[in-house]
Amino acid sequence: MKAPPFAYLRATSLDDAFRLWSAAGPEAKLLAGGQSLIATLAFRLSEPSALIDISRVPELGGITEAGGAIRIGALVTHAQLGASELVRRHVPLLAEAVPLIAHAAVRNRGTFGGSLAFADPAAELPACCVALDATVIARTRSGERRIPAAQFFTGLYTTALAADELIAAVELPQARPGERSTIIELARRSGDYAMAGIAVRAKIAGSTLVEPNVVFFGVGDRPISAGRAASALAGKPAAPATVAEAQAALGGDLDPPADQHGTPEMKLHLARVLLARALDRLIGHAGARAA
Amino acid sequence: MQEKVKDAPSSQFKWVGTRAVRPDGVDKVTGRARFGADLAMPGQLVGKVLRSPHPHARIRAIDVSAAANLPGVKAVVTRDDFKDQPSEFIPAGEMMINYRDVVRNVMAREKALYEGHPIAAVAATSTSIAKQALKLIKVDYEVLPHVIDVVDAMQPGAPLLHEDMITAGVEPAPKTPSNVAKRVEFGHGDVAAGFAQAEIIVERAFTTKPVHQGYIEPHACVASVSEDGQADVWVTTQGHWIVRAHCARLLGWDVGKVRVTAAEIGGGFGGKTVVYLEPLALALSKKARRPVKMVMTREEVFRASGPTSGAHVHVKIGARKDGRIVAGEAELKYQAGAFAGSPVQPGAMCAFAPYDLENVKVVGYDVVTNRPKVAAYRAPGGPISEFAVESVIDEIARKLGMDPIALRLKNAAKQGTRAAYGPKFGPIGFVETLEAAKAHAHWRTPLQKNQGRGVASGFWFNIGGETSVSLQLNEDGTLSLTAGTPDIGGLRASLCMMAAEELGVDLDRIRVQIGDTGQLGYNFLTGGSRATFSSGMATVEAAREVIKEACKRAAKLWELPEDAVEYMSGGVRPAGANAGKHAPMTLSDIAGIAGKTGGPIAGYARINAHGAAPSFATHIADVEIDPETGKATVVRYTAIQDAGRAIHPSYVEGQYQGGVAQGIGWALNEEYIYGPDGRLQNPGFLDYRVPVASDLPMIDTVIVEVPNPRHPYGVRGVGETPIVPPMAAIANALADATGVRFTDLPMSPPKVLAALDEARAAGTAKM
Ligand SMILES: Cc1cc2nc3c(=O)[nH]c(=O)nc-3n(C[C@H](O)[C@H](O)[C@H](O)COP(=O)(O)OP(=O)(O)OC[C@H]3O[C@@H](n4cnc5c(N)ncnc54)[C@H](O)[C@@H]3O)c2cc1C
Repeated sequence: MKAPPFAYLRATSLDDAFRLWSAAGPEAKLLAGGQSLIATLAFRLSEPSALIDISRVPELGGITEAGGAIRIGALVTHAQLGASELVRRHVPLLAEAVPLIAHAAVRNRGTFGGSLAFADPAAELPACCVALDATVIARTRSGERRIPAAQFFTGLYTTALAADELIAAVELPQARPGERSTIIELARRSGDYAMAGIAVRAKIAGSTLVEPNVVFFGVGDRPISAGRAASALAGKPAAPATVAEAQAALGGDLDPPADQHGTPEMKLHLARVLLARALDRLIGHAGARAA
Repeated sequence: MQEKVKDAPSSQFKWVGTRAVRPDGVDKVTGRARFGADLAMPGQLVGKVLRSPHPHARIRAIDVSAAANLPGVKAVVTRDDFKDQPSEFIPAGEMMINYRDVVRNVMAREKALYEGHPIAAVAATSTSIAKQALKLIKVDYEVLPHVIDVVDAMQPGAPLLHEDMITAGVEPAPKTPSNVAKRVEFGHGDVAAGFAQAEIIVERAFTTKPVHQGYIEPHACVASVSEDGQADVWVTTQGHWIVRAHCARLLGWDVGKVRVTAAEIGGGFGGKTVVYLEPLALALSKKARRPVKMVMTREEVFRASGPTSGAHVHVKIGARKDGRIVAGEAELKYQAGAFAGSPVQPGAMCAFAPYDLENVKVVGYDVVTNRPKVAAYRAPGGPISEFAVESVIDEIARKLGMDPIALRLKNAAKQGTRAAYGPKFGPIGFVETLEAAKAHAHWRTPLQKNQGRGVASGFWFNIGGETSVSLQLNEDGTLSLTAGTPDIGGLRASLCMMAAEELGVDLDRIRVQIGDTGQLGYNFLTGGSRATFSSGMATVEAAREVIKEACKRAAKLWELPEDAVEYMSGGVRPAGANAGKHAPMTLSDIAGIAGKTGGPIAGYARINAHGAAPSFATHIADVEIDPETGKATVVRYTAIQDAGRAIHPSYVEGQYQGGVAQGIGWALNEEYIYGPDGRLQNPGFLDYRVPVASDLPMIDTVIVEVPNPRHPYGVRGVGETPIVPPMAAIANALADATGVRFTDLPMSPPKVLAALDEARAAGTAKM
C-alpha cells in the first residue's frame, strides 16, 4: 500500500516545531527518522493530516555529559549511539543494544526519541531505558517534564506523552563502579524484531547481584520489569539454585501473548533461558574482572 | 574460496573458464539497467487489479458501472473480456499448462479460487483513481467452504474446487470428481521382491511448506496496443516468446501482431515463466487506446503469484547390511494451488534419480487447493521429493553405522545406469561430486559443541529446446550478438565468451543483447537450466557460420576454392598447398570488404537444442543448534556440483550459492501462514522470512567438471540442482547433532524445541 495524502512541514528550530505543530492541529504527527512512521502510513495504520519533520531541529540532537548523567538528544540515531565514546564508557548497555536493532540502513536513520515514542514492545531501546532507570525529558511549548522510563511506557505502542508533548532527550545515570549490564535477544532472522529479549543491569559484589534490574521485551505489551525475578536474585550469589528460583518467579512476572512465533508457554520458556544466559554473562564479566 | 576439481586444462581456452568482467555489471551498479517497472510511455495509464478477498467463492455478478464512470478511469476489464478456452495441456518449461486454466487464473470466471484471485482490472490516469475505481466495483460473491491443506483436500467430502475434475491417470477413471487432478507413476523392477531381500527398512512421512521464489523485482509490465491492432509489451519475464504465445492465445490475436521485449530481470527462479498481468494490461490498453503500466505490490506477489508446492511425502527404502539399496518406494502428494499442474511429475521422476536401483516405484498425486496456482521454482518438484529420499538414506546410513557418502557411492548412478524415470544416463558426474565431498577439508574438520554435520545429494534433468541466436559482423570487425533467452544468471557473459573463443577475438569486440520477439525466431524461455546450454550451442553455431562466411569471402578475393582457406586465431589465411600465397586477413579486414564481397556477414542459428545433460550435486552442511531455544544456525556449508564445464566460474559459483541460500530459507524459516479464514497472514518480507546475508555462512563451492559430450563446450546447466540438496543436508545435520529426525519443514525454533523436548523425555536426544 501507499501512504494516504498528508501535508509536509519542516521545522527549523524547536520553537518553529511547536508553532507548526499547534497550527497543524491534533491530527498532525512528528516525523523523526521515519523508519517506523512511514511504514505505519504505508500500511495505513495511521492517517495523519500533516507530518512535522523535526529531523533538522538543532536543539534535539547531541550526546552530552552533565552532572553524573548522559543526556542523549531525541534525534540521535541508532548508528550515532553505537559510535559514541561517551555512551560506550558510561552507558555501555545502549552501545551493546545497537547492533541488535534492525539493519545498518535503518540504524542510520532511526532515532532514539522515535524508538521511545513509537514504543514497540519488542524494541530494544525502551527496555534498556527501563533497565537503566532513564528519565525521559518531555517538552511542550511552555515547559519541560521529567518522566521516569518505568512510567513512560503505558501499553502497546502507547506512552505517557501528552498530545502536545515531544521527547527532547533522555537522561541516563552513568554506570557506577562495579555495575554490569547486558542485553540478549532471540530473533528468527538477524535484524528482525525479537521473539523475546532481556536487558539486565546490576551491581556485582563478588558473585552477588545487588539491586538487579531485569527487563524483558517482546513478551508483553511494553518493556516488562520482572520484579519477582529481581527480588529472587537480589543480594544473593548467582548460584544455580538462585537462578532457578528467579526463573520460576518469572511465571508471576510475565504473561506473554501468543503470536506467529509461538505459544505463550514457549515465550515464557525463552524468557527463562534468556534470564539464565544474561546472568551468566553478568557474572562471567565480573569473574573475568576479578581474575 | 573456490576450488576446482577435474578442471579442463585452462590453457585449452582463452576465454572459457575465466572470470571475465560481466557485460551487465556497470549498468546494474549504476542504476542504468532498466527493469520491468522502469519503462514509461507517453500517455501511459496505471492498471490495477481487484482481487478476491475470499479463498473460495462463486462469483454471481460483477458490476463495474460505477468504476467505469469515475472520471479518470479509461477502461475496466473482467471475465467478460476474455474468451473461454478449451481444455488442452501443453508443455511450458518444465511444467504443463492448460489454457482453460490460464484464462481462469489471470481473471476469475465462475469462481474465485484463492484469496488474491483477480476479479477485475482497471486502467486510470493515476494510481489513486485506479484504486478508488477498484473500490467502486461491486462483486456479488457466494462464499464457499475452502481447503488449504493438501491432505485435507484429498479427503472425501472436501470442498471441490472444480466440480468436473476427474483424476487422470487412474484406470478405470473415477466416477466422482475430486481435488486430485492426476496420478503419475514411475519405476521399474518389483519393489515387493526388493523389500523382501532387505535387511533394514526405513519408512517415514515428510511435509514441506509452499515457499515463494522470492524474487526482489515484483511482476511488472507496460502494454501498448495501437488502433490498428499492433501490440507491444515490455515486461520482466523469463521468456518473452512464452508471454507472446499466451497473450496472443488468451486475447485471440495473431502472434505476429504482438511484440514482446524482455526487460532486465530482477530475479525469477521459475516464477516468471507464466503470465499474470500481461494479458490484462493488453486488454486494458486495447480498450483505453493508451499504454497501460501494471506493477504488482509485494503483497500481490505473495497472494497471487506462484510459490512452489507444499507437499506430503512418504518414503520407504530397504537396504542390505552392506549398504546396497534393494528397493525404494515413494508416494508424493503435491498441492498445485487452484489449478492442476503441480510439479509432482518431475518430483516423482527425480526422487530416486541419483541412485542405481533395481526396484523402484514412485506414485504422485497432483492436488488442487484454495491457494495461488503454483509456478516453477528452481528444479520444480525435485527439492521436495529428494529432501525426503535423502533424509531416509541418511537414516539408513546412520542405522547401519556406515559413512553416508560411502553409502551413496555404493548406490550411485553412473554412465549407463537406468534412471528410475526411464532413460539410461550418459556421462554424469555424481560419483565425482561424492568423491570431492569425501576429499574436502570440510568433511574432516571436527565439529564444535551442539553442532552436527549432514550430507545430501541432488539431481536435476536440465533441458534444451527451441533457440535462436544471431551474430552480426559489423563493418569494423566488432560483433553484435542477439540472444532470446533473458539473462538471469550470467547468460550474456557466457555467450560472449563462447563466441570470442570460437572467433578468436577479444571479448570486448562483442556486444550482446537480448532481442525482442520480432528480432529472432522462437526462443523457449530461460528455465530448466537451459539458457547457457541452448543459447550457447546456438551462439557457437552462429559463430561458425560467420567463420565459414569469412572464409568464403577471402576465397572469393583470393580466387581460391573455399576449402583452401582456413580460419585461425581471429583471421583467415590460405591453407594447405596455398599456404603463404596471400597475407592473412583479420576478421576486421574481412568485415571492411564485406560490402564488396557479397554484402553483410552474419550468422543466424535456429536450433532445437538436444543433448541437455543432468547435473548432480553433493552438499555438506554444519548446523549449530541452540539446545534451549531450538534455533538452528548453518555455520558452514560446502556445495559441490558437476557443471559439465563452467564457462564463467564466478557465475556458476553464484548459482550454487544462491540455490543454497534459498534452500536454507526453505529448510529453516520460510512458510506461508494461513488463517482459518483461508487468508495469507504473512504476505511480506517482514514475516515471510527469506534469509538475509547475516543469517548465512560463507557458502563454499567446488565446481566439478565432467563435460557434457553433446555440447560444444561441455555445458550441462547449473541453475536448478543447487536448491535440491540443502533441505536434506540441513535436516541430516540436525539429526546428527540432536539424535532427532526432522521431517517437517521449516525446521523452525518452536518445532525443533518441541521435538527436542519430546526426545529428551524419551531418552533419545543427543543434547
Ligand atoms: C525493517 C525495520 C526493522 C526494524 N527493526 C527494529 C528492531 O529490531 N528493533 C527496534 O527497536 N526497532 C526496529 N525498527 C524501528 C526503528 O528502530 C525506528 O527507527 C524507531 O522505532 C523509530 O525511530 P524513527 O526516528 O524512525 O521514528 P519515526 O518513524 O520518525 O517516528 C515514530 C513515531 O515516533 C514519533 N516521534 C518521533 N520522534 C519523536 C519525538 N522526539 N518526540 C515525540 N514523538 C516522536 C512519531 O511521531 C511517530 O509516531 C525497525 C524498522 C524497520 C524499518
